[in-house]
Amino acid sequence: MITLDHIQVCFGDRRILDDISAEIAGGRITAVMGPNGCGKTTLLRCIGGLLQPSSGRVLVDGKPVHDYSARALAQKEAFVRQQSQTDLDFSAFEIVLMGRNPYQRRLQNESQADWDIVEQCMRQTNTWHLRLAKPGQMSGGELQRVMIARALTQQTPVLLMDEPVSNLDIAHQFEIMHLLREAREKTIVIVIHDLNLALQFCDDLLLFHSGKLLYQGPVAGGLTPENIRTVYGVSAHMADNRIIYDY
Amino acid sequence: MVNERRSGRANPWVLLVLTVVLLMVIAASCLFGMVDIKMEDLLKAFEQWRAEGRMPQMLHYFLNFRIPRVLMSVLVGAVLSVCGAAYQSIFRNPLTDPYILGVSSGASLGAAVAFLLGLNAFFWGVESLALVTALLTVLLIYGIASIGNRMHTTTLLLTGVCMTLLISAIISFLIVLNPHKMDSIYFWTMGSFANRGWDDVLILLPVTVVGSGVVLWYGRDLNLLLAGSEAARSMGVEVEKVKRLLLLVTTVMVAFAVSSCGVLGFVGLIVPHAVRLVAGADNRKVIPYSILCGAIFVLLCDTLAHTLLYPNEIPVGSLTSMIGAPLFIYLLYKNKKSY
Repeated sequence: MITLDHIQVCFGDRRILDDISAEIAGGRITAVMGPNGCGKTTLLRCIGGLLQPSSGRVLVDGKPVHDYSARALAQKEAFVRQQSQTDLDFSAFEIVLMGRNPYQRRLQNESQADWDIVEQCMRQTNTWHLRLAKPGQMSGGELQRVMIARALTQQTPVLLMDEPVSNLDIAHQFEIMHLLREAREKTIVIVIHDLNLALQFCDDLLLFHSGKLLYQGPVAGGLTPENIRTVYGVSAHMADNRIIYDY
Repeated sequence: MVNERRSGRANPWVLLVLTVVLLMVIAASCLFGMVDIKMEDLLKAFEQWRAEGRMPQMLHYFLNFRIPRVLMSVLVGAVLSVCGAAYQSIFRNPLTDPYILGVSSGASLGAAVAFLLGLNAFFWGVESLALVTALLTVLLIYGIASIGNRMHTTTLLLTGVCMTLLISAIISFLIVLNPHKMDSIYFWTMGSFANRGWDDVLILLPVTVVGSGVVLWYGRDLNLLLAGSEAARSMGVEVEKVKRLLLLVTTVMVAFAVSSCGVLGFVGLIVPHAVRLVAGADNRKVIPYSILCGAIFVLLCDTLAHTLLYPNEIPVGSLTSMIGAPLFIYLLYKNKKSY
C-alpha cells in the first residue's frame, strides 16, 4: 500500500505537482492518467524514490520511501521506464538478470534460481527468443518487453510502470495487460494513455489536470465524458462500456 | 548455440593463464632489457656475492634498477587499465580513460609543481599535490557530466582536450621559469619508467592492490550503472555513493601512478576495449582481465621502448599513444551513429 501525503514538486518556479494526497490500494492496478506534461512521470519517480518531493512525503507500507536503502527499496518496488537505453552492450538475458541484483551478495555468482526466474519472466513477456540479442538489434517494442521482464524478475510487491504499453502493437498490449491482471498479489501503478485499455484492465484511477488531482477512485467512475472534456479537451460518449470519441 | 546461462564472473582458468603469461613476460623483460643478462652470469654473480660479500656491479643493476622498473610498468599498466574500465562505466561513455578526461594531465601538473616547490623531499609530497590537482579535474568533469543524465561525447572530449591544453600551457610556463629543471618537469608529461627504484614500487603497490580490490568489489554495480543512474538506483545500487567512492579511489590510483611514472596516454582505453572484444561487456570479467592485460601491455611497451632503438630510448608514453590514438579514432568513427 502506498500513501501520497501532500506531495508537491517544483522545478524552478514551475509547479509540476500541487498538493497531491492519495491512497493507492494494495493488490490493485491503479492507472495514472492525464495529458502530456501533467506530472505523471514525476509522480511515479517520487513513488520510486528517484525524486525527492519539494514537500510532502511518500509512504510505502507505512515507511517513508527515502528511509529505505536502495537495496531494500529495490526489493519492494520495480520501475519500468518510458525510455530505455539502446546502446547497452549486454544481451537481453544479461539485462533481465540485472533485476536480480537486489537479492545477490557482492562477488556472489548468479544462482540456478536466478536463471530460472529470468527464463520464466522472459517467457511471460514473450521475449525468450530475444535472449541473446542486444538492445541495438531489437525493435522499440521488443526492448520495452525486455524491460518489463527485468522489472518482473525483481519480484517486488509493487510495480511502477511509465507508459509500458505505448510502444507495443495491439496483441502485445493485451498480452502485457493480461499478464499484469494475472499478477493478482502485486500493487501496480501504471501510466497509460489509452482510455479504453485503462477501463478494461485497471481497477482504480488517479486523473491529473494541470498538476492537481482531479479524480481518485474506481476507474469506471472517473473516465466520464465530463472529465475527459475537462482534462483532454476532447468530447466523447460512452457506448457498450467503451469510450467513443466525437470528432 | 551460445548458452545464456553462463557465469558473469571471471573465469579462473583465464585468470590463471593471464597470470602465467604475465610472469613469463616479467621474467623475459628482466633478462632481456637494455643490456642482456644471461642466466648463468646472474647465477655466477650471486655465487660471487655470497663468496666475497661484495655485490657485483651487474647484480646491483639487476636488483635495484631492472626489477623495480619492470614492476613499476606492471603496476602502472594495471592501474591505468582498471581506472579506464571504471571511468567508462561511471561516465557511461566508451571513449573515456584517465588520459582522455585530462585526469592524468591534472595529476602531472600537481606532481611538477610539487617538485618545483621541493616537496619531493617529503614522503608522499609529490603524490599529495598530484592527487589534489587530479581530484580538481575529476570534480570539474563530474560537475559538467552530472548536469545531464548522461555525458555526451562532445562535452567529454572538449573538457578533456581543454584540461590537457590548459595544463600543457601551464607546464610550458613553469619550464620557462625554471629552465634548469626542464628535463625533470618534462618527465611528467611524457611518461617513463627509467630510474625507478624500490621506494617507488613500495608506494605504488599498496595503492594498486587496495584500489583494484575496491573496483572489483563494485563490479556488478558498475554493470548496473551502465544501464543508467535511475535504472541502477531502482535495482538497488546506491548510485551517488558508489560513483563518489569509485571516482575517489580511481583518482588516487591515477595520481600515484602519474607521480612516479608520468603520463601514459590511452592505456585505459586500449586495454579494456581489447578485453571487451573477447570477453564481453560484463565488468566482473572486464576489470580483473584488464588488470592483468594492462600489466602485460605496458610491460611489453616499456621493454620495446628501451630495446627497439638501443642505445636510444623511446618515451613509453609515445609508444602507447601511437597504438592508442588510431584505436580512439576508429572507435569514434564506429560510434558516430550512436552519439
